[in-house]
Amino acid sequence: MLPVPTSHSPALGPGCAGPSLAYASASTRSDIAPPSAQQPCCGSEPFMVDPSAAAGLGLRRHTDTPYVTGTSVLGITYKDGVMLAADTLGSYGSTKRYKSFERLAKVNDATVLGAGGELSDFQYIQTLLDELATEDYCADDGMQLTPREVYAYLSRVLYNRRNKFDPLWNSLVVGGLEGGVPFLGTVGMIGVHYTDKHIATGFGQMLARPLFRERHRPDMSEEEATELLHDALRVCYYRDKQTTNKFQIAKVTAEGVSVSEAFALETQWGYQAFVNPAANALGTW
Amino acid sequence: MAYQMATPAHSAHGAPRAHPSWSPYDNNGGTCVAVAGQDYCVVAASTRMSTGFSILKRDSSLFLQLSDQLVIVTAGFQADSRTLHKTLQTRYVQYQFAHRRPMSVGAMAQLLGNTLYYKRFFPYYTFNLCAGLDAEGKGAVYTYDAVGSHERVGFSCQGSGKDLIQPVLDNQLKAASPLVLPPEEWMTSLPLAEAVDLVKDAFVSAGERDIYTGDAVEILIITKEGTRKEVIPLKKD
Amino acid sequence: MFLTRSEYDRGVNTFSPEGRLFQVEYAVEAIKLGSTAIGVKTKDGVVLAVEKRVTSQLLEPSSIEKVAEVDEHIGVAMSGLTADARTLIEHARVETQQHRFSYNEPMPVESCTQALCDLALRFGENDDDEESGGMSRPFGVALLIAGWNEAEGGGAVLYQTDPSGTFAKFSAKAIGSGSEGAQTALQEGYRPDLTLAEAEVLALATLKQVMEEKVTASNVDIAKVAPRYHLYTQAEIEAVIERL
Repeated sequence: MLPVPTSHSPALGPGCAGPSLAYASASTRSDIAPPSAQQPCCGSEPFMVDPSAAAGLGLRRHTDTPYVTGTSVLGITYKDGVMLAADTLGSYGSTKRYKSFERLAKVNDATVLGAGGELSDFQYIQTLLDELATEDYCADDGMQLTPREVYAYLSRVLYNRRNKFDPLWNSLVVGGLEGGVPFLGTVGMIGVHYTDKHIATGFGQMLARPLFRERHRPDMSEEEATELLHDALRVCYYRDKQTTNKFQIAKVTAEGVSVSEAFALETQWGYQAFVNPAANALGTW
Repeated sequence: MAYQMATPAHSAHGAPRAHPSWSPYDNNGGTCVAVAGQDYCVVAASTRMSTGFSILKRDSSLFLQLSDQLVIVTAGFQADSRTLHKTLQTRYVQYQFAHRRPMSVGAMAQLLGNTLYYKRFFPYYTFNLCAGLDAEGKGAVYTYDAVGSHERVGFSCQGSGKDLIQPVLDNQLKAASPLVLPPEEWMTSLPLAEAVDLVKDAFVSAGERDIYTGDAVEILIITKEGTRKEVIPLKKD
Repeated sequence: MFLTRSEYDRGVNTFSPEGRLFQVEYAVEAIKLGSTAIGVKTKDGVVLAVEKRVTSQLLEPSSIEKVAEVDEHIGVAMSGLTADARTLIEHARVETQQHRFSYNEPMPVESCTQALCDLALRFGENDDDEESGGMSRPFGVALLIAGWNEAEGGGAVLYQTDPSGTFAKFSAKAIGSGSEGAQTALQEGYRPDLTLAEAEVLALATLKQVMEEKVTASNVDIAKVAPRYHLYTQAEIEAVIERL
């Protein structure tokens, strides 16, 4: 059986067969509609992934492909619970469109959710979870969805939408604490879901997961866990163009859920390889 | 696997939905093997879950263990597999409520076939084995394709490593060809311990050449005494 | 017009203050007017014997059907409004075939009985919904369900159902107009170690006791499930009559 390298998009995570990103511009296409109530009238061309999808169709198809996207979400378990990490960028193709978009959200007192992929779909998912949380609040019995229940619920939501050929274009990470035991799971846009001691979606699967496999232990202290996530985020920032140096870390411990203020990591661009990358390379790199 | 629809799904407005290069399927790999003996059944499955060239998880089980005597193993697309398992688990429990007895392997085999066929035109991308002990206490293995064709056999292999393992089983278990007339016994006469060793060797070998088979192999040994599980590590590369 | 019990015997959905559903009780009464049917279970199979009321010289006896095959391994004998029984039997035939389709095995006899009782209880539901298959009144028929279970611990079984949707398992059971006398006779004559041939004789002899007419090959029907359903031919019935 041949591996299928295109079966997932590095930008979007497992199971996401992402299209190559491309601008639609007047130079490549003649059928771009003039600005209207539904389309940007800021003077720039509307961004579109794979313009051929929209070509020749009378219907607006802007929900069929991701527009504003977030990149990797990282998650690890540690001694006191779980930590999730993500940057705060909402990309519009290669444009840094939203620079302070919070991709880590508290779901309830023991659960956080992190998301990559289409950010409007993520916000829709948040409304779904808010509705469930409201029901729990109204029941007033002190019960909330456990992280595992949130994870199971989301896996069904995403799978059902893929069955309708109308996917929610996200890779989600659910973290939490259940009976004192850390829970960490992920759900992809076609319903693939799994739990593990450490998780990374999208580019993080390639960049951060190897670091986790080398350095992660379930009994890490909070300091060690934070340091590991910082290092992983730094690698993502160095190598993933869709990552910015503005991050958040969310934490679920016995004390509850906290999502940190955004912070930047110290970076070092003065390495010789960065200054003159081709110096020792015989090829064209 | 590139998935192409003969007719595209339609939105609520009746307009075709088409996602450029979006596929509702993925292949998450994994290999499973089942061998039926005179009074046992050995069922094994690798635990690696992959997508493309990435390993997603190293300890993911392919089993749906329904009872001491009945198990289903599924390779293929993980989301479909989990959905299928949930459906079958529910049906298994409902059957017990309705008929006040555990489901036989044969009954589950038919149910699985039907369940797969009901999605004939948007199939579960899953490759199944249904295994256990039949009413006479003999090993039973049913092997499937993704849309529900099935057959009772003496042994079978499904999933990413099937091309590597199946011929070895054919050779080592010395099965009479189904074409031989009059039909000959197809169930192996191998003692249990040797069958387990053969299965271990098969997985170690497949792990050497198939990137989707590795990390570990779970082996369930089903006898009339019950089910025993062994986990054998495989190479993690 | 005889005196009605109360205002509570009109609607099938209304309990009387004493907690009774009169329409169901009346339906049970209807069975006591029906022809007698007898079932006797042995370890080798179940024998069903039914009385056919040949009301006219000109009536073709073979057109009276009071035993029917549901599936290879299940047969039923009926008493009461036999037209209602057709609906039930049709339902049972569909259920057993669906079971074969889903599970590639014969349906357990109890499950089939349960399915029939579920339908029997579905009266008075959804007045305007034809699809539900429900009736506006209870079925006026009782059934003897003879069957054979494949699975281990299985073998021959005999169930009896009535219009209230209740069922019970019996070694030997009589229903219909002669059921009281017949049941007493069965109680005396039944032994768990009966052979199938002895059961044939017990069933037919009991039937003979409660029948007004003389037993002939044309005014009784005999069937067995042992382990497959078989409806006796005229010659086979005559052979049993010989042994009485």
